[in-house]
Amino acid sequence: MIELKNVCFSYIQGCKENGLHNINLTIRDGEVVLLCGESGCGKTTLTRLINGLIPNYYEGSLTGEVMLNGRAVNNLPLYETAKMVGSVFQNPRSQFFNVDTTSELAFGCENMGLPIEEIQRRIDETVCDFKIETLMGRSIFKLSGGEKQKIACASVSTCHPDIFVLDEPSSNLDTSSIEDLRELIVMWKSKGKTIIIAEHRLYFLRELADRILYMKEGRIKEEFTSREMKAMSLSRLSGMGLRSLFLYSLSKCKSGLSQKQGYVSLSGFVFSYKNQHPAIEIHNLSIPEGGIIAVIGHNGAGKSTFARCLCGLEKSCKGVMSVGGKSFNGRNRLKHFYMVMQDVNHQLFTESVLDEILLSMDKEDSQRAEDILNSLDLLSFKDMHPMSLSGGQKQRVAIASAVASQKEFILFDEPTSGLDFKHMQQVSDNLKQLNQMGKTLFIISHDLELILRSCTHVLHFEKGRVIDNYPIDDSGEKKVVSFFVKASEERGGTPDCLCV
Amino acid sequence: MQTELLQSTGASHKHLRLDPRTKLFIALITNTAAFSGNVWYLMVALAAIPLSLLFASNKIKSGVYCTLAYIIAVLLNELVMPATHGIPNLFIAMVATTLYRMMPGLIMGYYLVTTTTVSEFVASMERMHLSQKIIIPMSVMFRFFPTIGEEARAIGDAMRMRGIGLGSGRLFKKPMAMLEYRMVPLLMSTVKIGDELSAASLTRGLGGPVKRTNVCEIGFGVQDIAILIIGILIFIAFTIN
Repeated sequence: MIELKNVCFSYIQGCKENGLHNINLTIRDGEVVLLCGESGCGKTTLTRLINGLIPNYYEGSLTGEVMLNGRAVNNLPLYETAKMVGSVFQNPRSQFFNVDTTSELAFGCENMGLPIEEIQRRIDETVCDFKIETLMGRSIFKLSGGEKQKIACASVSTCHPDIFVLDEPSSNLDTSSIEDLRELIVMWKSKGKTIIIAEHRLYFLRELADRILYMKEGRIKEEFTSREMKAMSLSRLSGMGLRSLFLYSLSKCKSGLSQKQGYVSLSGFVFSYKNQHPAIEIHNLSIPEGGIIAVIGHNGAGKSTFARCLCGLEKSCKGVMSVGGKSFNGRNRLKHFYMVMQDVNHQLFTESVLDEILLSMDKEDSQRAEDILNSLDLLSFKDMHPMSLSGGQKQRVAIASAVASQKEFILFDEPTSGLDFKHMQQVSDNLKQLNQMGKTLFIISHDLELILRSCTHVLHFEKGRVIDNYPIDDSGEKKVVSFFVKASEERGGTPDCLCV
Repeated sequence: MQTELLQSTGASHKHLRLDPRTKLFIALITNTAAFSGNVWYLMVALAAIPLSLLFASNKIKSGVYCTLAYIIAVLLNELVMPATHGIPNLFIAMVATTLYRMMPGLIMGYYLVTTTTVSEFVASMERMHLSQKIIIPMSVMFRFFPTIGEEARAIGDAMRMRGIGLGSGRLFKKPMAMLEYRMVPLLMSTVKIGDELSAASLTRGLGGPVKRTNVCEIGFGVQDIAILIIGILIFIAFTIN
């Protein structure tokens, strides 16, 4: 049983994250509790209280009591809490201590000092439960995001904790990996484990959660059952800043998107990594110029490789793009393309937001830079260090520098991974704004809500080839929705239509 | 793409497997002996250990290249060098001696790095009773190098796209700014990953007072003993000479 009594917490000064106010919560054994709410509402902080990272790792002032099975977490060292609580985090890149999967599964047990035979037995059992035989003995660096997240779940599972805490585990996953994750949670639940999940994506948990806690500004605002939650209208959910619960119920909402007449045609985009069969193979393709093009497909279908080739980052890709009679090879494309990366931290270099924009201009023009900042709602931050901004603001700085460099093609790699409704909407507004400027946008995304909200065209990848290429009109809308719904159904998931 | 310092996954069981401690010991011997001996047949015998190890672990291609290179080095050293004078002699001496002296150690180092997995290495450090204060940072380091590589590559890509990459000509105009553009995001992201990584390892119970177990099986076998004896014999021969 987990009990939080009158818990208040605030991080030490200088920390961007918000604290918690007056939390009272009892979670019984075997319950699945979903924490939802806008970014910064305190979901993650609450998970940190339960796994003991607060106050043992993240410092701040804490009052009140957090009890796990009758023991106060505040006074327990982390290695004791670790035996009761297993934690899975958001970023699959930073939660592995080892470089190979087998050692990673053993790691928690090794730390408890269990005998080797016992560890081996537990690994075998977990591998069987998780059906990850093929992932054993592999290098962590060669796994996909979904595979990494599976290994992360398996490696906490070997320690046999009673409580699992998952902090936004799905943010970097595609639809079918999310389905795998859902199955894991079902398995834990059937074993009577207590599970606490903080998430933005709600649809895959709607049948699983026993209780749904809606948080706002560091408080638990409301509590729902799964049934109550499902009865809510889409507009009420959006009003609360929450993502939708049903994929199939989404529909396109486009307004004022402009599209040029011309076409962008690609030819000869074939690229393979060292000693492997082609990662992408596109011989001829044409897409509308000035459109917002969604690039969809499962993990490993070649979307990212396509993006890198399109931007001209892969030198050995010989593909040629032609627009309006002009053709561009890889080297030229690098001058006309800009990619807003999934981790925008990689592309902000200077000391202030204004410098960042000026760096992108051929001739530094402060007036134009300020105009651009103003149009993206960034003018008030112009003297701040880009790294001190929030994730969404950083992304807008990256967009602003793309605008400043006058590049006509902008590519977004997973612009909404781990974003709540409000921020997703903001991204979608930014995309529309860029569209008004006449840019052609490519959006690699697993986010159906974003795609329906802003994209005009779909490129569907599978095994390195474009298997479908269609505009999002009425029939296109059905097609793209069915791709996402099917991806979660074909893995044995609950069909969406049963839940109406 | 190869940025891993040691291997993350092991080779198949078909090939010769040595304990990492044997490899370390042989590496130590070859490095010290190679700089002290002058008798060519002893040097060849010394170089033969890492070379045969390469072949035994199925690294045929690199084995053949290294063997050829070493034979050339020995021939240059023994036959060509005494026969030349002046500047050519100086030049040949420089190349030949470097190869002659350095190669055994380098090949052994290459063998060590390409056939040892991180977990084997960590396990052997534990068997050598090194303190956890050394082992944990070492294993984090092995884990971290590839990550830094990945991050640096992403930053490099971003710079090329902004037209401030290495080939943009700005390197000469503003070298310090270029260094800053590269380092600041790299430090920011490695600090963040480091922070998340330590939080994750702590929630997995790292740092408890109990003695850690290690599931990685290492240990001395017949092959280790054989190699060690050969190594020691050659080393003794070197010292007597």
